[in-house]
Amino acid sequence: MAVGFEPRVVGFLCNWCSYAGADMAGTSRMSYPPNIRIIRVPCSGRVDPLFVVKAFQMGADGVLIAGCHPGDCHYTEGNYHMRRRFALLQPFLDYVGIEKERFRLEWVSASEGKRFTQVVTSFTEQLRQLGPRKDRELMAAKGVQRAV
Amino acid sequence: MQDKIRAKARELLETGTVDCVIGYERATDGLTARPVFIYGTAGVDRLVFDQTCVHNLSKFLLDRRDKRTAIVAKPCDSRAINLLINEGQLARDKVYIIGVVCQGMPEVSWNRVSKEPQERCQRCPQRVPVVYDYLVGEPVEALPVTFSDVEQMENAGPAERRGFWLEQFGRCIRCHACRQACPGCYCSECFVDQLDPTWVGIRKDVTDNEMWNTIRAFHLAGRCISCNECERVCPVSIPLSLLNRKLEKDVGEFFDFQAGIKAETVPPFATFKKDEHLKGVE
Repeated sequence: MAVGFEPRVVGFLCNWCSYAGADMAGTSRMSYPPNIRIIRVPCSGRVDPLFVVKAFQMGADGVLIAGCHPGDCHYTEGNYHMRRRFALLQPFLDYVGIEKERFRLEWVSASEGKRFTQVVTSFTEQLRQLGPRKDRELMAAKGVQRAV
Repeated sequence: MQDKIRAKARELLETGTVDCVIGYERATDGLTARPVFIYGTAGVDRLVFDQTCVHNLSKFLLDRRDKRTAIVAKPCDSRAINLLINEGQLARDKVYIIGVVCQGMPEVSWNRVSKEPQERCQRCPQRVPVVYDYLVGEPVEALPVTFSDVEQMENAGPAERRGFWLEQFGRCIRCHACRQACPGCYCSECFVDQLDPTWVGIRKDVTDNEMWNTIRAFHLAGRCISCNECERVCPVSIPLSLLNRKLEKDVGEFFDFQAGIKAETVPPFATFKKDEHLKGVE
């Protein structure tokens, strides 16, 4: 594992539950790893697979999607749609070589500040174990040219 | 086979059932086939059908949405037509489908036709069109579905898979031929053409190529009818079917769904179940 490796995590948090949950963690003075960069989205169902692949393209070590618990969606059914999309996208990204441990879907409600810190901590720890992504080395090994 | 298609096309045009017949004709090289649009009985004899008619013609129907059209369709093409009807792109009563029984098409290049069927055809379960108004040829049994190539890929290690795909995506020249040939890719503005935000950068970099190839495949999740036109037209021979078939396999496993078999079934991403338990999701 690289010395001093700190994973970069992109977190897509739903405005109504998980973002408020993260806010709850903050206002309750609970600490969680600063590795996560939070992007607020109106609903977990808003997260297009494009966003996830783009985040990985831009160098994210992990992507977290967090939304309301099933049944609690502000828009009634957004998280159900995300659940189906995630169920396909995670094995698909794993198939193209982005390990499935790097991509997570979690349900965090507005009152679950504690749970939010646990999710971020365990995810960051998992990524730290996994180490940085090996794309550069693999490209060099395969002789794949990069555009500058 | 050819004579039956010609006779049917003549009948349809004479009675005015359709204004146009989309089929295949002999290309100028005298060996391969190319798509042809026949508007009157005079042109009917140009229609051919044999082992070189590899194209999926169903995409041309989108240019004739509101006009009555007949089309020569192989089993895979017929699934594409079902997909387009399902997605509200076509009206069933505007299309007259001349279905042809298919035993698999060979590899056709400019100077030779292979003896063995194409790989896509060797794996294809459909031998008879799933939807047709008139069938040419004797119906034969459907074959079992296999995903042996996908499973082989799944069982490789993550680093091996990553290396393989980076190498494949590195070759992509982003000509977007895969999109142009795909009957499921009919968005008026594709995400790859959007400039604000620019989802896929304009440089020909492997990461941008990956962006294009993965999202293109994912946009066809639960929609791909595995005609494999994308792979056939790819100038750098990226095994796109490996991506498409992985999604097809998972969609089949998770949602018990196969695209294009019936025009009425609701596709998996258009619906959900409240209490479903999906693999990998808590």
